[in-house]
Amino acid sequence: MASRALLAVISASPNRCFISSSWIKIQSSSSSSSLSLHLQRHSRKIQLIGRSYSSETKSSEFQPPDVSSLAETARISLTPAEVEECETKIRRVIDWFGQLQQVDVNSVEPSIRAEMEGGNLREDAPETFENSESIRASIPSFEEAYLKVPKILNKE
Amino acid sequence: MLSTLQPPRSLSLRRFQTSKLIVSSASSSVTSPPQSQILTTRRSLLSGETTVSEIAKSYLSRIRLTEPQLKCFLHVSENVLKDAQEIDQRIAKGEELGPLAGVIIGVKDNICTQGMPSTAASRILEHYRPPFDATVIKKIKDLGGIVVGKTNMDEFGMGSTTEASAFQVTVNPWDLTRVPGGSSGGSAAAVAARQCMVSLGSDTGGSVRQPASFCGVVGLKPTYGRVSRFGLMAYASSLDVIGCFGSTVADAGMLLHAVSGYDRFDSTSSKQDVPEFQSQFLSVDHFESKPLKGVKVGIIRETLEDGVDSGVRSATQEAASHLEALGCILTEVSLPSFSLGLPAYYVIASSESSSNLSRYDGVRYGNQVMAEELNKLYECSRGEGFGGEVKMRILMGTYALSAGYYDAYYKRAQQVRTLIQKDFKAALEQNDILISPAAPSAAYKIGEKKDDPLAMYAGDIMTVNVNLAGLPAMVLPCGLVEGGPLGLPVGLQMIGAAFDEAKLLKVGHIFEQTLKGSSFVPPLLANIA
Repeated sequence: MASRALLAVISASPNRCFISSSWIKIQSSSSSSSLSLHLQRHSRKIQLIGRSYSSETKSSEFQPPDVSSLAETARISLTPAEVEECETKIRRVIDWFGQLQQVDVNSVEPSIRAEMEGGNLREDAPETFENSESIRASIPSFEEAYLKVPKILNKE
Repeated sequence: MLSTLQPPRSLSLRRFQTSKLIVSSASSSVTSPPQSQILTTRRSLLSGETTVSEIAKSYLSRIRLTEPQLKCFLHVSENVLKDAQEIDQRIAKGEELGPLAGVIIGVKDNICTQGMPSTAASRILEHYRPPFDATVIKKIKDLGGIVVGKTNMDEFGMGSTTEASAFQVTVNPWDLTRVPGGSSGGSAAAVAARQCMVSLGSDTGGSVRQPASFCGVVGLKPTYGRVSRFGLMAYASSLDVIGCFGSTVADAGMLLHAVSGYDRFDSTSSKQDVPEFQSQFLSVDHFESKPLKGVKVGIIRETLEDGVDSGVRSATQEAASHLEALGCILTEVSLPSFSLGLPAYYVIASSESSSNLSRYDGVRYGNQVMAEELNKLYECSRGEGFGGEVKMRILMGTYALSAGYYDAYYKRAQQVRTLIQKDFKAALEQNDILISPAAPSAAYKIGEKKDDPLAMYAGDIMTVNVNLAGLPAMVLPCGLVEGGPLGLPVGLQMIGAAFDEAKLLKVGHIFEQTLKGSSFVPPLLANIA
């Protein structure tokens, strides 16, 4: 059974605003019942991304995806229409990921990849690449020895 | 033009069966077993019956004829005839022929080919020409193979239908209103349509095996680490492998042998010896009466439950009976963690892809959208360069890896991966190989799954667990189901223990050579020469 809750999320400070003031519609279904919202108001910031955040956070205490913030982190610009389309789809998928929370993984070691032999690193010695001209040919803005990029503006 | 198209004698096009639709592998007429194109080519060249130039011309003609409909290729090489002439000159001088001499090979567009466009079917790499060859390409060229072109795919490997290409939609040679599967749809369709003899694809969650099933060709996914990933544009580094397509098990196996081996440029590349696969490909005349006597085959129970098309289930059960008739001992096995593989896979794949695709920033290569400020340059170049599915997966991955979420999603998915590996290991201790369908259905109609990501992902259920466990697997056509002008192929998936490709190839080859039924040649080809 699905239930809906309407919640207000208030931005903590104008300068470090991860979530803008808005109503967020939350849908919780039985498949992800372990996902409940943990809301902070006013003095405490709600942090979706980045920064230090206790790794002991219980798996039930996280926000649904905020596509605009995620897009900023991932350095991808999205049109408002894209944000809307993405939001619906991503929330459905993240919801579906929630079933992993039901699995008993107590004392199960995580596997980074398939089992295989380790220690296949080669010597950290530079080798000249013969065809450096073709690497340069791919660079969109190149000015003798430098890749040209626009200035970086610090966000204030 | 049609009347002048002379296929070389090394390529025998069998007349497509016009008998009624079948749902099993038995049919009204017996056809001879499919012949290896690599071996047939070699014999023709050594005997002087044909030249590489003649072969190359014939394939280029077929590509010209069929491409307007199929759209398998993003780029056809301008050097095919020149490469062919070089090999002919070497033959004329009496030089030794490499094992791939004269073999016409398609390459998925996420594998770097020096000087040839390599776009991963993405606008962000639209005009990119790599300065280097992937290790697999270097090996192919050293052994005399000819790269005929770069094949279409889902952008950066993210998709299961090849509809997510930024440039064109490839169609299934069996039914032009259907998808070829994905993400290596172009490579699979090109082999099915005989536009090339064999092709390379990549398999992260089934992207070689599922299109092989949809297109009625053999798709071979090696063990993780068997084939170097150097030069393969990374999607999910712990899951990606380069795989092989062929119209026969022998061809896929010989191509795999050619590209396998340790590579110091890939730190996940294995130092395990690559056995000589060719000894597995005996002629059917030399088979004993029960050539697979004593081979233990486990059929995965969870893959034949609800949600699998009845036609696919029948074809798989018929294939199991065929294996039994060849002497195999069939038992049912259960993999309790099976259904967890799909969400675990998508967490891991989208997380790793969000990291891997951060390199496409418009600064060092690829399309750049100029802006006044650096972050804006990144945002606009990536926003305009990436397609919708790619953007979605990057954002999903960004979410799953965020501080506070990493343990709940990515780490947890890695723990589920351990459970899946354990289940496979236990099953493969009791069995030589495991079998399952390659996909829950045959090829979908174009546009059918495009708007519903979860419906799209559901189609990967049979294949993703194998990537999580890093095991080798092969799909080969085992029957036809209803659909299309004359039926749609479905494939049987065989899964082996790590680095045991030889066993898969042995079982697969014998299965294929003794399978009585329609030949797996799509109707499109019956209209050509």
